[in-house]
Amino acid sequence: MSKFKKRAGLALAATTAFSIILSGCGSNNGNEASSGSGSGSEKPVELIWYTIGTPQKDVDTVMAEVSKYTQEKINATIKMKMIDWGDYTQKMQVLVASGEPMDILFTSAGGFDYVQNVRKGAFLELDDLLAKYGQGIVDTIDPGFLSGSKVDGHNYGIPANKELPQLEVWRFNQNLVDKYQLDTSGVKTLESLEPLLAAIKEKEPEVTPFAMDKNYVPYVPYDYLVTNMPMAVKLDGSELKVVNILETDEMKAALDTMHKYYMAGYVAPEAATTGSTSDLTTSGKWFLDRAQTQPLAENLWSASYGYPVTTTPASDAIITNTSVQGSVMAISANSEHPEKAMEFLNLLNTDAKLRNMIDSGIEGTHYEMIDATHMKNLDASQNYNMPSYSLGNNMLLYLNEGDPDDKWEQFKKFNAEGVASPILGFNFDSTKVATEMTAVQNVKEQFWSSLMTGTVDPATYLPKAIEEFKKAGLDKVIAEAQSQLDAWAAENK
Amino acid sequence: MAGSFFRRFNRNKVLLLMVLPGAVWFLCFSYLPLVGTIAAFKEYRFSRHGFWYSLIHSKNVGWDNFKFLFNTDAALTITRNTLLYNIAFIVLGLVCSVALAILLSELANKKLAKLYQTGMFLPYFLSWVIVGYFAFSFLSMDRGLLNHILGYFGVDSMQWYSDPTYWPYILIFVYLWKSIGYSSVVYLASILGIDKSLYEAAMIDGASKLQQVRNITLPLLKPIIIIMTLLAVGKIFYADFGLFYQVPRDSGTLYSVTNVIDTYVYRGLKTTGEIGMSTAAGLYQSVVGFVLVMVSNYVVRKLDKDSALF
Repeated sequence: MSKFKKRAGLALAATTAFSIILSGCGSNNGNEASSGSGSGSEKPVELIWYTIGTPQKDVDTVMAEVSKYTQEKINATIKMKMIDWGDYTQKMQVLVASGEPMDILFTSAGGFDYVQNVRKGAFLELDDLLAKYGQGIVDTIDPGFLSGSKVDGHNYGIPANKELPQLEVWRFNQNLVDKYQLDTSGVKTLESLEPLLAAIKEKEPEVTPFAMDKNYVPYVPYDYLVTNMPMAVKLDGSELKVVNILETDEMKAALDTMHKYYMAGYVAPEAATTGSTSDLTTSGKWFLDRAQTQPLAENLWSASYGYPVTTTPASDAIITNTSVQGSVMAISANSEHPEKAMEFLNLLNTDAKLRNMIDSGIEGTHYEMIDATHMKNLDASQNYNMPSYSLGNNMLLYLNEGDPDDKWEQFKKFNAEGVASPILGFNFDSTKVATEMTAVQNVKEQFWSSLMTGTVDPATYLPKAIEEFKKAGLDKVIAEAQSQLDAWAAENK
Repeated sequence: MAGSFFRRFNRNKVLLLMVLPGAVWFLCFSYLPLVGTIAAFKEYRFSRHGFWYSLIHSKNVGWDNFKFLFNTDAALTITRNTLLYNIAFIVLGLVCSVALAILLSELANKKLAKLYQTGMFLPYFLSWVIVGYFAFSFLSMDRGLLNHILGYFGVDSMQWYSDPTYWPYILIFVYLWKSIGYSSVVYLASILGIDKSLYEAAMIDGASKLQQVRNITLPLLKPIIIIMTLLAVGKIFYADFGLFYQVPRDSGTLYSVTNVIDTYVYRGLKTTGEIGMSTAAGLYQSVVGFVLVMVSNYVVRKLDKDSALF
C-alpha cells in the first residue's frame, strides 16, 4: 500500500511540473498569435534578425535608431541578435530546430550551411515574395548572385552583393621580399614557389617560409561539390564528371610537391594540427601563404598586420557555388511576418542610409563623414564593429578613409571578369546517402590535413586514404552525385 | 487513504523539500527529454509550427538513423577504443585513487596532506582545451619539452602527433592525472569515517600497516568501491569527448587509437547536423549503458547480495 502512495506522490509531482511547462508553452503561443494578428493594423512589426559576429555592445542602441528609420519607411522595427563566429553554426542549428522565433537569419556556405538547411526546410521559399516586394534587390545586385544561390530552381535567400568570383592568391610578406630582392612576378603554380622558399629557408631560419593551418588544401582546378569533401568536378568544363579529387593527377602532383616542401622544412612541423596562423601574421615571421582575395585586399591586409603584404594570383577567378553563397540572408520558415521581412531586405539592399547605419552605427557617435562618399571611424566604433560582408549589399557602403573613389567600380569589374564554374547552380542533395556521408566525413578528417599539408608521404598514405574512402562508400556518394548532376545538366542545357 | 497521504507528506515535508531541487532537475533534464527520443527514428525536418509539430510530422525512417554507426570498419574501431579505454580508466582509476586515498589518510602531517590533496585536485577543474595545450607543450615536434629531453640524450625528435604508437599510454596517463585527485576524495572521505578503534585493536594484535590496509580499510571500502564502479560501468559507452578530441589535437593520423564513439559522431555530423542521427547515437549509448549496469549489478548481487546497488 505504501508503495502505491509513494508512486502516487511522484506522479502528482510529475504532473504538476509537466503542466507548468505546458502552460508555459501555451502562453507563448498565445503571444505569437496576437502579435501575428497585429501586423495588419497600425502597430509596427518587430523583425528578429540573427546574424554572425562577435556581439557588440552598442547593437541595441544602433538598432533603436535603425528602427526609427525603418518604422517610418516600412512600419517595422528591428531586433538584432548576434552570435559569435565559432558558435554560429551550432547555436543556429539548435535555435532553428527548436523553433525559436526569428524572421531573418544569416546563412552561408561556411557558417550554418545554406544548401543543407534549405533542404531541411529551415528557410522560406522566396520566389513570390521576391517578385512582389523585392524588385529593388532584383534590380541592384549582380544577377549572378541570385541565379547562383538557387536551390532546386528556387531562391531561398538574398546573397550580399560583393565580390562574386573566387580568386586564390599567394600572399607575400613584402618586408622579406624587399630584404632579399626576391622576384615574385613569375609565381603562379605551387611548384614555382620552390626557389623563393629555399632562399628564405636558408637566410631566415626563424621564419616559417610557407604558412598554413590544418584547413590548407593545395589549389587544383576543380570545383568541390561540398566544401572540403573529396567529390569534385573539373573546372575546364570538358566533361561533367564527378571524381574523387585524390585520384586526379593534379592533386597527386600537388601532394608530392607538398610533401617535398614539408620534408625540406618549408612548412611548420605541426601544420596538420594548427588551427590558425595569426601568431605568424602578427609577428611577421612568415614569408608566404595562400588566401582568397577581393579587389584592394592587399590594403586591408597591410593595414591590419602593420606591414606591407603583396599578392600574385594562384588561380583564375572562378564563380563557384561557394563564392556565390558566401553570405546569404534568408527568411526563417517560422517567420510570422515574411512580407515585412522581405520589405526590409529590399530596403537594406537598396537604401544607402539604412545600409550604412547597420554597418557603421550612428553618424557622429560611431563614425563621421570626411566628404560626400568617405567616412572615418570614431573611437566609439569599437563598440559597434560589424562584419560588412554579412549584412547585405556591400556596394552601398561609404568608402573608408584612403579608399580609392572607384572602389566599387573595381569590384564590378572584378565580378564581370569572373568565369562561371561548369557546375555553378548545381547543389548536391546528400540526404539519400547520409549514412555514407558521415563515414566519408570521418575518413576525410582522418587523412585530409596530414596529406594536404605534406606531413605524410603520399606514396604510402594516398593509396591508403583512397582505399578507406572506398570502404566508407565514397563510390556510392559519387554515383549519386553523378546522377543528380546529369539530371541537372539535362534540365539546364 | 488520502488523509494518511497528507499526514505522511506533512511529517516528511522537510525531507521532501530537500529532494525537490534534485527531483525537478532530473525531471526537466533527464525525464522530459526522453520524449525527444523519437527523433532517433525520424528524418527531422523543420516546419513553421515549432519543434513538436516538426518532430511529430517528420518522416519515419525506422532504424535508418542507426546505420551510420555500424556501416563501416570504423564501427569496430570506435567501439573497441571506447570500451578498452573506459575499462582501463575504470580499473586503473580505481586502483590509483584508492591507493592515493590510503596514502593520504596515512600521512601524519595533516597540513601537508591537505596541500598534496589540493595539488592533485586542481587538474580536475581544468578544461580539456587547457590540458590539451599542456600536453602540446610537452609533445610539440619542434618546441616540445619531451623532444628537447630526447635530444639531450641523443635520441631523434619524435613526431608525437603523427605516430599512434604511444598514444594509448599518453591518453591514459593524462586521464589519470586529471581525474584521480577528484575520485580519491570520495574514498578518502569514507576512510576517515572508519572507526579508529578497529585500527587500534589491530595494532595491539601486532598487525602491520599493510595487514591493516588489507584486512580493515579495503573490506570497509568495498561497498563504496562497488557503487562507484557500477556507476562508471554505466557510462562505459560514453567517451570523454575533450580527452579524445582536444588532447590529440584532432590529428587524423592518430585516429586508429583516438577515435571513439563520441568523436566519430561529432566528426560525422558536424557538417550535416542531422538531429535524427545524433539522437540515434545517444540512444544507442544509453541503452547499452543501461544493459551493462543491469548486468553488472546482477552479477554483484549473485556474488554478494548486500553490496548490490539495487
